[in-house]
Amino acid sequence: MISFHDLEVRYGPTVALDHLSLELTDGVVGLLGPNGSGKSTLLKTLLGLLKPAKGEGQVLGVALNSPEAAHLRARIGYMPEYDALIEDVSAYDQVAFWGELSGLDAASARDRAHEVLYFVGLDEARYRHVSGYSTGMRQRVKLAQALVHSPELVFLDEPTNGLDPDGRRRMLALVMRVRTELGTGVILASHLLEDVERCADQLVILDQGRLKAAGSMASLRRMLAKRFELRFLDPLNETQRAQLETLGQVRAEHQGLFDLELHDADPRKPFQWAESVGAVLVQLTPRHDRLDEVLIRALHEGSH
Amino acid sequence: MPIYAPTLPPRPEVSQGLPPALVIARFDLRRVLKQRIGRFFGFMFVGSLLVQLGILYVRFLIQHQRGFEGIRDFAKEILTQGPEFHAGLLTMNGWLTTLLWFQVALVGGGLIARDTLYRIRPLMYAHPVRPRDYLAAKGLFGVGLPFFILLPFALLPWAMSLLIAGVNGPVSPYAPLYLVPAALCMALVMGAVTLGASSLASSPRAGFGWVLGIYLSTNAIGGILSAALKQDFWMAMSPQALVQAWPALLSGVPNPILGWAATLVGTALHVTLWILVAARRSRPSEAVL
Repeated sequence: MISFHDLEVRYGPTVALDHLSLELTDGVVGLLGPNGSGKSTLLKTLLGLLKPAKGEGQVLGVALNSPEAAHLRARIGYMPEYDALIEDVSAYDQVAFWGELSGLDAASARDRAHEVLYFVGLDEARYRHVSGYSTGMRQRVKLAQALVHSPELVFLDEPTNGLDPDGRRRMLALVMRVRTELGTGVILASHLLEDVERCADQLVILDQGRLKAAGSMASLRRMLAKRFELRFLDPLNETQRAQLETLGQVRAEHQGLFDLELHDADPRKPFQWAESVGAVLVQLTPRHDRLDEVLIRALHEGSH
Repeated sequence: MPIYAPTLPPRPEVSQGLPPALVIARFDLRRVLKQRIGRFFGFMFVGSLLVQLGILYVRFLIQHQRGFEGIRDFAKEILTQGPEFHAGLLTMNGWLTTLLWFQVALVGGGLIARDTLYRIRPLMYAHPVRPRDYLAAKGLFGVGLPFFILLPFALLPWAMSLLIAGVNGPVSPYAPLYLVPAALCMALVMGAVTLGASSLASSPRAGFGWVLGIYLSTNAIGGILSAALKQDFWMAMSPQALVQAWPALLSGVPNPILGWAATLVGTALHVTLWILVAARRSRPSEAVL
């Protein structure tokens, strides 16, 4: 779906994306990172709006900054983070307008505007001016304009911004429907980790323009499944401590409690190891790390 | 509680629509037509046009009715079909151009500024729209609006004159040959100034202020310089003077305030300057970041 190699984007002397290399397959990709991490810059680069200083890449088989890049945008939908709505126009008129701009003829754009506004749950209100809409309705208009031309890939920048819990749930349900029912690839940029955790198949973590972590959510969950807290009856001696590395990587130790990432997720292994080195294991607790802890850890490790 | 569709039907064919510039220009036009200000100015322009046509008909009556024989000699003096008369069809002694500047400032001031206010431009560039498409759309609208308002002022008096008096009517049968190009040149100056001024503003109201500010300040500076230096060509700094000059030049008015060279240079400078300003202020890097 998307691949880029050694991608570098600069704003004058400032490096916004620092030698990023990544390959993203079809599905829902969660793009995580704090403000200024380069998420929006990456989206703009993939849309062909920013020219990379170095590196190369492809989006839907089209090379970045090739002459076909402008036409590529007809195959991509973009839902911006900010309120890019024409206030003095109805949702129907503006969604039809964005459809025409994406290459639909006027009649198809009008038909499609009806369909897509119904899809996002704005059927009743579509002839009203957007200025009278609630935040949730405004977000759904933005999603509708991104979907009106049935893109192969859609970039959603903070789609749940400003929504209450119920609105967030509905918006994420729509995002999931976009993937499952329409088969559209989704890049979901967010700082709300629960949103990404709920929707994404793949995760990309950026910080200060650098790639901190990337992988499938399944592999991330597998990695999380290997994290255990261990406590022994007696303090480990030097030899036992050294041999602990054969069981897994010690992430932290506090008052005899070891935070261990096992080489093998099998929970019988720590007991077997303790028996082999003559220690008594009295506590083995799986760590239920959440994604936000992983993100914070990835960012923290990167800053040292 | 929103009602959601069971699903979305299959995708329609793409790449069959109009070019992006035409889509944007048409959308802007529809938006303006729905505004009350469009109706107000529509009424004003139609009123002006009717007054002009009425004057023409009265002049025709004076020339051809026996009851007016006594004043016919006098009428011949004031009803000459001279170049000033023809140039006046597009300017109405400055009334029409002033009204048009207000219309252009009110409607055109928001041309780019409205997109800046609503932050629409980055989203446009995320579609298959290039900066030159955007500029072409706005330019098309900015020039098209005054041109299509001026067009009836050039063509209807001519058509009416032909209808009621044939080739000997008060309007020359060849008038469209120079009045239509004059209207186009006037619209070009107005459109370029509007485009640049609107790109400098962050809201339509500010755009209105910018257009009027440019209109008044250049007029004042041009007037002061031409009076101080006793050289009329300084008035070419003023878009209003240029707008008045084009019909006079193309109609062949003897000794116009601005000559061909000053008008051409002034027009070229204004059009280039304001298009460059608009291009710079609406480029993607400005809009996206």
